[in-house]
Amino acid sequence: MGSLEEILTGFQVAISLEGIMFVLLGVFVGTFIGMLPGLGPITAIAIMIPITYGMDPALALVMMAGVYYGAVFGGSTSSILLNAPGISGTVASSFDGYPMAQNGQAGKALAIAAISSFIGGTISVVLLMAFAPMLSSVAVSFGPPAYFALMLLGLTAIASLSEGSTLKALISAVVGFMVATIGIDPQTGTARFDFGVPRLLDGIDFLVIALGLFAISEVGYLVINRFKASFASAKELGSLKLSKQDLKDISGPAGRQSILGFILGILPGAGATIASFIGYISEKRISKNPEKFGKGYIKGLAGPETANNAATSGSFVPLLSLGIPGSGTTAVMLGAFLVLGIQPGPMLMGDHPDVFWGVIASMYIGNIFLLVLNLPLIPYIARVLTTPRPLLISLVMMFSLIGVYSISFSTFDLYLLLGFGVLGFLMRMFAFPAPPFILAFILGGMMEQSFRQAMTSSQGNLSVFFTNNISLALIILSVLSFAFPIIQSMRQKKKQA
Amino acid sequence: MRKVLASSLFALMLIVLAACGGGDSESAEGNGSDESSESSGDNGESSSEESSWTPAGSIEVVAPAGAGGGWDTTARMTAQTLTEEGIIEQDMGVVNKPGAGGAVGWSYIANQNDPHNIFVSSSPLLLVPLNGQSEHTYEDFTPIANVIADYGAFVTGPDAEWDTLDELFQDMKDGNASEITVVGTSAPGSMDHIQFIRFARAAGVDVSNISYVSDPDAGGVTQVMNGSADVFSTGIGDVTEQIRSGDVKPLAVTSEERLDGDTLGEIPTAKEQGIDETFVNWRGFFGPPDMTDAQVAYYENKLKEMSDSEAFADIRENYAWDEMYMDSEEYQTFLEEENQVFKDILSDLDMLEE
Repeated sequence: MGSLEEILTGFQVAISLEGIMFVLLGVFVGTFIGMLPGLGPITAIAIMIPITYGMDPALALVMMAGVYYGAVFGGSTSSILLNAPGISGTVASSFDGYPMAQNGQAGKALAIAAISSFIGGTISVVLLMAFAPMLSSVAVSFGPPAYFALMLLGLTAIASLSEGSTLKALISAVVGFMVATIGIDPQTGTARFDFGVPRLLDGIDFLVIALGLFAISEVGYLVINRFKASFASAKELGSLKLSKQDLKDISGPAGRQSILGFILGILPGAGATIASFIGYISEKRISKNPEKFGKGYIKGLAGPETANNAATSGSFVPLLSLGIPGSGTTAVMLGAFLVLGIQPGPMLMGDHPDVFWGVIASMYIGNIFLLVLNLPLIPYIARVLTTPRPLLISLVMMFSLIGVYSISFSTFDLYLLLGFGVLGFLMRMFAFPAPPFILAFILGGMMEQSFRQAMTSSQGNLSVFFTNNISLALIILSVLSFAFPIIQSMRQKKKQA
Repeated sequence: MRKVLASSLFALMLIVLAACGGGDSESAEGNGSDESSESSGDNGESSSEESSWTPAGSIEVVAPAGAGGGWDTTARMTAQTLTEEGIIEQDMGVVNKPGAGGAVGWSYIANQNDPHNIFVSSSPLLLVPLNGQSEHTYEDFTPIANVIADYGAFVTGPDAEWDTLDELFQDMKDGNASEITVVGTSAPGSMDHIQFIRFARAAGVDVSNISYVSDPDAGGVTQVMNGSADVFSTGIGDVTEQIRSGDVKPLAVTSEERLDGDTLGEIPTAKEQGIDETFVNWRGFFGPPDMTDAQVAYYENKLKEMSDSEAFADIRENYAWDEMYMDSEEYQTFLEEENQVFKDILSDLDMLEE
């Protein structure tokens, strides 16, 4: 922890009138952009960089940070209401959030997302303030073998993401892996599976796949079953009432995932998306009622929503204390720092304590603003679902198309989006679950790269995965995680027999 | 009442969407179809009026990459300075054309072939085609002017056994090359890799068994800090702070002479260690294939004026860029020489695709 005096300087920046105004502006823009499917914090921050030119650096960065965590905060809205993830970190929020909305609990789901996000955001800022300078060593402690083991642990969750046939879940995951290999291979520079299309050399963007498999396929499903299904039933849309039991249900995941999400956020490359998936999976693993997940269970929504917001604060650790951007968004944030003449890195805390602590201190205020801003709006936002269905379906289509187009300005990606929409639709018709596909796609690319980096550095010696303590611990956890459900089901069978 | 609110909320979302999604492409679309006819008329005029050309509409500065990277920043800062300093009166819009390491943007420029489109590029414009990943090469475009430069650096973990690049290369020559791992951000055959090979080759190291890993998630610093890799080959700007704090140890900088600044000035060049090689990461502007001399001269003068302005000097300082102005002719010669060096290196590595 820095000296008390320095931290107070930070609060001075954050609590000043301008400070509060810029935080408010930042989180307002962020939460709005986050709500729109496809548009995320990267676009928002990049576009705002020229505006901040000449501004006081501390205030400008307070605002930029607000855009970032505001977008993660708002990103769950369209995941819950429309099954169309607002940003990549909120895909897992739709697993239980969307079923909740379909069960007539849209308002409640949004309230749970807002409260979990607030808790995740706030607890992680406390951790950030207390440990940021020390935690930088955690960020550098992960080498390629440890990353590989971490991804392996994530993958053991495929079985728990599947409803029904494990075989179908595995097939879905394998296809996800295959799609992850498309593009230029970073370790050799060779193009793989590009079919001569230059647009495929960079691989396929995560949001194209997420919006295709979830939002577009849902649209197809609604059109086909137009008399049966609906985005959500219209009763009790706006009710935010949370019972004591609901709050109790949130408290467990919120407490655990604030810490786990924060730690995953610290690791460069892991970030909010992986944290939200692991948040979902780990809650399901330790739950006494795993069968409730995926059907509109409060804990299944609170887990990932807490984790992705906590991870966002976590990602400021390597950025601020090491100058290492761990994700696309933090890379653009780094650019924003540079424009303002501030170089993030190990010297930042000493050179510019007002910036370092100002950004962190403003996050407390930003999170409160987000909660105050979002909660009263929920009844109105939830009303979106009462929009006549043909209109709503067209809007989902339009937002998905615009969101994808804004990533690359390429019509090719629009065809890809529709292609994945058709794939998602077919998968749904034949009961292949989509979450394992998405999980394998996210983890697969990083898993392959870290495996091969480890192999190159060790001249092909597989023992690196066991001589590194972190990697060894994670591999043991993976084995346990894999074996545990099998042992459990064997026991149950014994009991029955 | 509630329905009204809901639909007005959606309307608001739409407006926000239009505002942020359209921000970039607005100017691009604005001068789309009507402008192509204008400019072709303009091309005809300029042959009779060879000495001067002025744009007939707004100018599009293309960054063949996504928002936030080096090319994007250069494009945005250039457009901003040219407009704010009143150097160019026409509207200027920055358009991102990301994809395939730049190739998507380059083919866009080549197909438009409109003198109102210019784009920013650097070494990848030579390397990507040499790796066989772009149908267009630098020869398909008109070099207008180079504006800035930055330099590469080689760093190790703080406790590494080598203190200079020369010591590292001696160790590699003593038969330990296969035990040393070099890490960079980009793939083999692209900048970070080639930069290292370029110096190793000049020092007489056998480049065929240098092991290189790519860590695209900006993990190179972490890899040398935790000992997963031995040397990080990168741009000096990416490691300045870590050098200053002592988290990494610099072996050499790739510039001709030592750089300015307290920390940077202490880093030895490869040259003073007896390795006769330099590497400049130049960055400049190019135009479409068919440009008249007058059109080139127009942009050349404007970019020169911008490069000399105080506003741009401030920007250079913020980003730690060096001034490196080259006019069209100098640039052409420089590019030919650089391209030849890259070709030789890639063919040594057996990676040349033609």
